[in-house]
Amino acid sequence: MTWRVVTRRDIAETVRPRSVKLLLALPALVILGGAYLYPVLGSEPYTTARFAGFISGWLPTVVALAGILLGYNAVVGKRESGAIRLALSLPNSRLDVAFGAFASRAGLLCGVIAGSLAAGFVLVVYPFGSVAVVRFLGFAVATVTLGALWVGLGLATSLVAATKRTAFILAFGLFGLFRLAWGPLSRALEVGLAESGLTGEEPVAAAALRAVEPGRVFERVVDAFVDPSASVDNVWYLNEWLALCLFVVWLVVPLGLATSRFIGSDLS
Amino acid sequence: MAAISVDELTKEYGTVTALDRVSLTVEEGEIFGFLGPNGAGKSTFINMLLDFVRPTEGTARIFGYDCQEEGVDARGRLGVIPEGYSVFDRLTGRKHVEYAIRSKDADADPVELLDRVGLREAADRKASEYSTGMKQRMVLAMALAGEPDLLLLDEPTTGLDPNGAAKMRRLLRNENERGATIFFSSHILEQVEAVCDRVGILQRGELVAVDTIEGLRESMGGGTKLAITPDELTNGAVQSVRTVEGVDDVQVLDGPTLEVTCANDVKMDVLLELYNAGVEIVNLRTEEASLEDMFVAYTRGSQA
Repeated sequence: MTWRVVTRRDIAETVRPRSVKLLLALPALVILGGAYLYPVLGSEPYTTARFAGFISGWLPTVVALAGILLGYNAVVGKRESGAIRLALSLPNSRLDVAFGAFASRAGLLCGVIAGSLAAGFVLVVYPFGSVAVVRFLGFAVATVTLGALWVGLGLATSLVAATKRTAFILAFGLFGLFRLAWGPLSRALEVGLAESGLTGEEPVAAAALRAVEPGRVFERVVDAFVDPSASVDNVWYLNEWLALCLFVVWLVVPLGLATSRFIGSDLS
Repeated sequence: MAAISVDELTKEYGTVTALDRVSLTVEEGEIFGFLGPNGAGKSTFINMLLDFVRPTEGTARIFGYDCQEEGVDARGRLGVIPEGYSVFDRLTGRKHVEYAIRSKDADADPVELLDRVGLREAADRKASEYSTGMKQRMVLAMALAGEPDLLLLDEPTTGLDPNGAAKMRRLLRNENERGATIFFSSHILEQVEAVCDRVGILQRGELVAVDTIEGLRESMGGGTKLAITPDELTNGAVQSVRTVEGVDDVQVLDGPTLEVTCANDVKMDVLLELYNAGVEIVNLRTEEASLEDMFVAYTRGSQA
């Protein structure tokens, strides 16, 4: 397995451009800004656990944007230019190339998120807040996972597309679908189903569908396991363990499918 | 064990057959030249050895490793200059070679490798700023990392000036003396001729000949090219040159210039024939037949 070698090369290449630095600064700014503002805008008691609830509404969109932008060009850019031919002429497998790119990009974003949360932790605690270390660590793990999840979705588009343009469209399609259109679409479905009289007052299918979106899954995980002031509704499709499972599914399945497709395809 | 053994290798893209049941064995220690015009399927063949592209049918093995099933093991024995590569945008030449060394799990000095291809001074410049020839030499340095048993080079002299090409040939000979097998594709016969033990010619996806250069020349009738500039040219004269025994091919170019590919010992016959046909010769050049001429002659011969 030479994925570490691939990761090392990819990091060396990725961190140079200013665009990537700006991209990585985005979640850092939101987290640190949130930590700075939380004691001002939030309500008593100020704890690191409730800070998670304060910030978890903004994070999914910001982390999704950073993740998708880091991921979508990771492989297809090299495929289009031909640099991937250099990598695959060496004794690297395609799995090494895919996983190496994932480890590099997800590592960068997750490192920035973890670092910003650590700094944010200090901002929240000082001078009036109180510490809830275990819950905060839980929140950090969930947020880092969300970062890896969106890098993975971006990378998945990079692995299946043959051109950067296609990958860009797919990646922003996913971002727009999940972060912008998902709510209105599932509400429209809800209204439609209710109007049609096919289901009862609250169509379960539409509500369950709405709950599947990665950002909402993340928010439910945070509400259920981290933020003591929040809780999740007691219906099956909002169940916290289901949310945890969905979280893992989003992380693993799209990237896994895209990787297997990449491994099986001709590089033309 | 054979360095490369390929059996009935076929690649179809939809209804187009890019490579048609090619079988070929390259023995360890050989320098093998793979010839053919652009689009003949040379790169498709090499791309399947590298597992960039999956065969529709047939198998390819490198030192016994199946190129598709055991690609990483197969490529572990290789040094490669692939077709259509580009360098990593933001990495220096040194980083590129380091990447190759690490991927091969080899123990080599990147600067020493870059020195061998004349890039020591440029080691810490970004490879994307290199000239085409420098990039080609850098990728050669990557290929040489870890003393590979087989060098697989797709058009290795692309972008090199004649000096660079000569250096490349010397380097390949040295590698061969070290014990490496060398397989390279080219459309330039002179380069192949200078170093190869054996040659395979690929045309429209089919392997039409595998032989030594001398063998090919003989089977093509000598392979000298005459470029004759007459004062004026009649159809009859062209026809009568075609009938001279030992003439493989006659092309009429603008000018007018007559290009005659023929056996060495019939050059005078050709000139005599033109003289008899009443053509005055203004200028005359002879040259070794290029691959293209030999190739045209060869494939016409095989179709006849």
